[in-house]
Parts: sequence; structure tokens; C-alpha cells
Amino acid sequence: MEITFKFQRGGTRAQPEYVDYQIDVPPEMTVFDALVAVRETQDGTLAFRGNCSVGFCGDCTLSVNGAQKVTCLVTVGKTQKDGVITVQPIRYAPVEKDVMHDMRKFLWDKVDVFAKGVVPNGGHPVTDEELRPVRKAMRCTTCGLCDEGCTVIDVNLDFYGPAALTKLYRFAFDPRDGITAERLREGSEVHGIWDCVHCWEATEHCPFGLEPTHLIMDTRDRAIAHGIKSGYGNKMLERHYDAFEESISRKGWLDERSVALQTYGGLIKGGLHTLPLGLRALRKGKATLKPHYKRPGADRIRKIFDRYNRANAGLRKEKQR
Amino acid sequence: MSHRFAFYPGCVAKGFCPELYESFVRVAAEFDIEVEELKDVGCSGAGLIPAEICDPINARTLAKAEAMGLPLLTICSTCQGVIGGSALRLTDPAYRARINREHLADEGLEYQGTTDVKHFLWALVEDVGLDVVQSKIKRPLDGLGFSPFYGCYLRRPIDVIQRPERKLYLEQVTEALGGTNVDISGKGKCCGFPSLTANEENAFAMTAKHLGEAVDKGADAMVLPCPLCHLEMDGEQSAVEKATGRRFDLPILHLPQVVGLAIGLDPKELGLSRHMASTKKFVAQLQPVGSLVGAAS
Repeated sequence: MEITFKFQRGGTRAQPEYVDYQIDVPPEMTVFDALVAVRETQDGTLAFRGNCSVGFCGDCTLSVNGAQKVTCLVTVGKTQKDGVITVQPIRYAPVEKDVMHDMRKFLWDKVDVFAKGVVPNGGHPVTDEELRPVRKAMRCTTCGLCDEGCTVIDVNLDFYGPAALTKLYRFAFDPRDGITAERLREGSEVHGIWDCVHCWEATEHCPFGLEPTHLIMDTRDRAIAHGIKSGYGNKMLERHYDAFEESISRKGWLDERSVALQTYGGLIKGGLHTLPLGLRALRKGKATLKPHYKRPGADRIRKIFDRYNRANAGLRKEKQR
Repeated sequence: MSHRFAFYPGCVAKGFCPELYESFVRVAAEFDIEVEELKDVGCSGAGLIPAEICDPINARTLAKAEAMGLPLLTICSTCQGVIGGSALRLTDPAYRARINREHLADEGLEYQGTTDVKHFLWALVEDVGLDVVQSKIKRPLDGLGFSPFYGCYLRRPIDVIQRPERKLYLEQVTEALGGTNVDISGKGKCCGFPSLTANEENAFAMTAKHLGEAVDKGADAMVLPCPLCHLEMDGEQSAVEKATGRRFDLPILHLPQVVGLAIGLDPKELGLSRHMASTKKFVAQLQPVGSLVGAAS
């Protein structure tokens, strides 16, 4: 079929400059192979990334007709609209030339932070069951599509992002590893797991079904099991978690006033911080001075927390060592 | 025809967003939504508490609704998403059996895995029906622009929301009520609230983006189905204005309030005066009750 590639070769995202290339290719050809064909037959100066061409290396991610794709996994026939495929860089990666991204800056440097290999923990036979979740995370090709969809990266490029945090998961859940708590602590610092807003976009964007948002949430759960609820640079989080847990496990439901006070530093510091908003809320009839009551069945909720905390007492000791 | 539900209001609707709880109760009665409020249940976990803890808490909630033979109704997207996520994990029989054995059995409870979890927005479209909603209009919202804001949990993950068409219900409701849909690109993105303690700068940047886009496109109000998004968009609006130097002055309305206004309820009764971002200008734009000017039919 006759395809026109509108290929961005300059300008900006808002005002792109395109060069058109026509080529006749079978509809089942992948977009990546068709781009290679254009480069080989029409213009050897076209710059774009790509390597394995079989969905293994994650290198050929591009924006095609406005959707971000691993281009060796989509066909020309399904991608084209009225015979046209517009090729642009993905939204957040810096561009070196044409649509060739600087993946090191965008992604690889962040992934490398969490890529320190397994430090053996003394060794015990590892079952297939234990390794299954890790093996899933190992399938990540760092194609970057999860980072593209990420709500946080949209406002802050310093956020590690779901691809790098998938790498953290890969090692933090490895049963052979001996420095789990250290890894979780590192991932808990500013721009790490706690900056994730669990919007599930990463899970929706991953073309391999690895569910990166779920992996980040599992990593947070594992950090909490180890007693790690923040990094050293964002201690307010730990106070927030502790206040939240205390409120629910004592009363069965959330006491927003006490959580806000404790989160922002206790009665005096927190009181000063929350006072202006609190007073306005009182005046509007949004907040009340009524005491936070204990729900029937709150003791059942407390039991669930107690059981969890008892089960993880060993891990927390490990953290303190 | 009445629609019966076990009702899980969530903590915020009983706490810092009392106007959501009250407007819901008022509106539900008009649409024959009969609710039996669950009182002996815990906080869903709000995405903060590990699954190992919130799954048993939510299994208990789900078991109580199941014992009543009723689906569970929520008015908070976050509760919806978190309890829905637990319900999905609890479809695994072995996992469910373990949670039942370890946490529910000694109370004489057992969750069989059958409870349907529904947000009020879904119930309004799927159980009540938009035709019935329209038949009750006494004050069409013609001439008013509403930016829908779902937040995360009513849009994703797909296996929890179950039906992709649910991603468009919010604007369908406001349009059915006569309002104009003022779409914003971030309507299914995070409001910023979950990042408020972790990284306030990120949170405010998200909030400013959504509010700014709605204002730029001419919205008269934003409508949302989640009280946590409301705490951010409404409660933090003045702080975001201070941080960004941009004034938004955008009223943020809970879904039941918008429905309530259209069926002729009093703005004060619906709690519009309780918001932190002023709703005065918006209320002044409302047509008188009984007005049929351009009524959506």
C-alpha cells in the first residue's frame, strides 16, 4: 500500500517541521521496517533509533499518528490513517536529531541507579514460584512507554518514573538478594516510589503487560513491611503514614484533623501550618469541632493491623541493624 | 423502580466533605436509590495501606454487603478503586479462603466473592438511566460549561473499572442535564492529592495544569466524583494560586451537587456555600427552578 510518512525533522513539538516520504509497502510490514526502507531507498540522513526489530530491545519507541508505540510491534496497515503516518519524537525524551531520542538522559541513567546486581544473601534453594514475579519484571525492555504515560513525569522530569522503578522491583523482590532494605531505602528518597501517584497510567501504557504501577505499589508495600515509609529527605511521609495507620487502627476510619496535624509536625508546628485553612473550613461549615468517634468494629480493624505488624516484626529488626 | 445498595460513604464524605454526603443522600432519594449505610466497616486504605492490610479490611466490608444480598455503592472514586482492586484480588479462591480463615472466620463472616462494587456515577447511568435523570430536570443547566474531572480510579486499571464505556459517563451526565461539556486533556489524570505529602511541588503543578486548562477553555465549574480530588482542587486551590501566581477562581462541584441543582434542589441545601473556592458567581448564573428554556429533552 502507498504510504506517506510525515517525518518530523525539525521545529518544536508545538510547531513541528515535517518532510514527506512516499513509499509502497505491504500493510503487514512493521512501521519500523518501513522507516528503515525509507532510509535505505530515499534518504540516508534520516535519524531514528532501533535495533532488534522484534520487540526485544525497546529502542524504536516513537510517536506515530499521535500515539506512542514500540514501532517494530505495530503494522503499517493498522497505524496509517488515510494513507498517512506522522512520525514524531515521544513527548518527554530529549531529541538529538530528527526523532532520535537521547534515551540515556531520558531513561537509562535513571534505570542504572537501581541496576546494582544481586548481592547473594547466603543462599537457599529458590523455587520457581518465588522467582516468577521477578521474572516478569525482567521482561522490561525499557521502551519508555510507561514513562511517556506517567502523570508525574508530565510535571517533573526528575521523577525516576515507572521504568526505573520496575528495575528497583526486579532486585527488591529477588529472593537471592541480601540488601533488600538498602534498595528499598534508596528507592524511597525524593523522586522515588513515594512520589508515584498510583494513577495506573503506567500499567495501561506498558505494551508487554508488565503492570509497572502495580509493581511500584508492591514495592511500597514491601518497604512498609520493612518499616520504611519514607526516605531521609522526605520524612513528612513517614509521619503521614504513621498517623494514618494510628487513626484507622484505633478508630476504624480516618481522622483527617489529627492526620493533618501529625503529618505537618505535631500539635504546635502542624497546628500553625494547618490553622489558616482549618479556620476557613470551620467558618464555611466544612470542618467541625466534633470529636472523631470510634466506629463499631474498630477493634477488628486494629486486629488486622496488629497481625500484619507482628508478621513483619523480623523484617523491621533487619532494617535497624 | 427502586435501586437498593449497601452504602459505603468513605471517610472524607463523613469528614472534610460533609456536603458530598448530604447532597448524595438528598439526590439519591429523588431517584429511588435506597441505601443502607454500612457503619461497622473500616477505611478502604486509600491506596496508602498495603494490600496485606486493606484486603482483609475490604473483604470484611464486601462480606457485609454480600450478607445483605446487596451491591456496594460508593461516592468516592478512591474508595471505589481500592475496594474494587481488593474485590478483584479476592476473586482468587485460594487467596479469598486464606483471608476468610485468618481475618473473617472468628467474626462469623465469610466473603464468597460475589459483591459488585459500584460508584454512584455508574449507578446513575446504568441503574437509574439517563432518561430518568432527564425526566426529573426542573432547572436545566443550559449555558453553563462543566469540565469533567474523573481522577484516576474511575478510569483505570481497566480490569477494576470493568467496562471502558464508564470512562465517559461524567460528561454524559452533565450534558444530559443541559450543561456544556468543556473537555480537558487531564480529566483522567491525577489531581495531585496523593503527592501532597510526598512532593507538594508535583501536586500543585498537576492541580494548576487541570484548573488552568478548564479556565482557559471557559468552564464555569469543574465536576468530579471523588472527594479526595475535591480536597485538592477546591481545598488547595488558594494555595495553588499562591504558589503559581495565577488566579483560577473555579468552583469545584461534587457530582451529586450538579445533579441536585438540575433537579431543582436549593444550592444551599446541597452545600455549595461550604466550598473553599467560592461558588457565588456560579450560583448566580443558575436559572430559576421551573425554567424550561432550552430544556434537555
